[in-house]
Amino acid sequence: MLIEVVAAGTRHAISKSYSIDPPATVGDALARAMLDPAFAGVDFAAAVGVFGRIARVDAPLRDGDRVEIYRPLREDPKSARRRRAAAASRSVRS
Amino acid sequence: MSGARADALAADIDARLPQTQCTRCGYAGCAPYAAAIAAGEAGIDRCPPGGAATIAALAQLLGRTPLPLNPACGTEGPPRVAVIDEARCIGCAKCLAPCPVDAIVGAPKHLHAVLEERCTGCELCLPPCPVDCIEMQPAPPSHRNDPGLNRTRYAAHRARAARLAQERTQAIAAKKALAGRTAATR
Repeated sequence: MLIEVVAAGTRHAISKSYSIDPPATVGDALARAMLDPAFAGVDFAAAVGVFGRIARVDAPLRDGDRVEIYRPLREDPKSARRRRAAAASRSVRS
Repeated sequence: MSGARADALAADIDARLPQTQCTRCGYAGCAPYAAAIAAGEAGIDRCPPGGAATIAALAQLLGRTPLPLNPACGTEGPPRVAVIDEARCIGCAKCLAPCPVDAIVGAPKHLHAVLEERCTGCELCLPPCPVDCIEMQPAPPSHRNDPGLNRTRYAAHRARAARLAQERTQAIAAKKALAGRTAATR
């Protein structure tokens, strides 16, 4: 079956498709990508998932699945919200 | 026109649409718009991403005179792609499902990114973003909008969405059955 592995970056992404014998897991696909020079520099210890859902490495894959390697948020959403709210209240007062 | 002939015509029309699935024509996607044209319910002037080239192709297919693009649907412009401002993305994942071609990679509480070469510029990811961190920017000169690839990706996206919906329904039914059994044994 055909499995795509994607590591998205800012305006550029590494994406490779691999033919893997079923049954296969998220970890199997990542193992293939790890050996691929195209993925050099990618943090394989990061959270991974399939089509927008965090998945464990032992999760089974289906034909056509996209295994994704995620990156952490730049800023904690709660502190970002406080910062936006503070900026908004400042602009209202001035 | 018979049903089969209308379907064949709709397929011919759909083959000439850019497959961005942007819904700016007022229909739920390129195929529904093609069906509406085939049924004589919609004009050939409603596709902003396709612009003059698509209108000309449709006019030729249907033996009609080309029209200018209907301004109520939008304007034709240089191709654009969605770009996520990573400093502002809160990882809400709301933009993922609306993308017809799965061009956004991300998961809840993790940074999202647009796979630029896959983005069709449909703008369907913009309204769901609660922090307005997605912006349309000019596509690089190398960017190609391939209707065939768009169609394949949209079909895969729809098939997966249908499967997930079915799995959810089954999970709820299983939970209800379990709750019913538990209540009965009390």
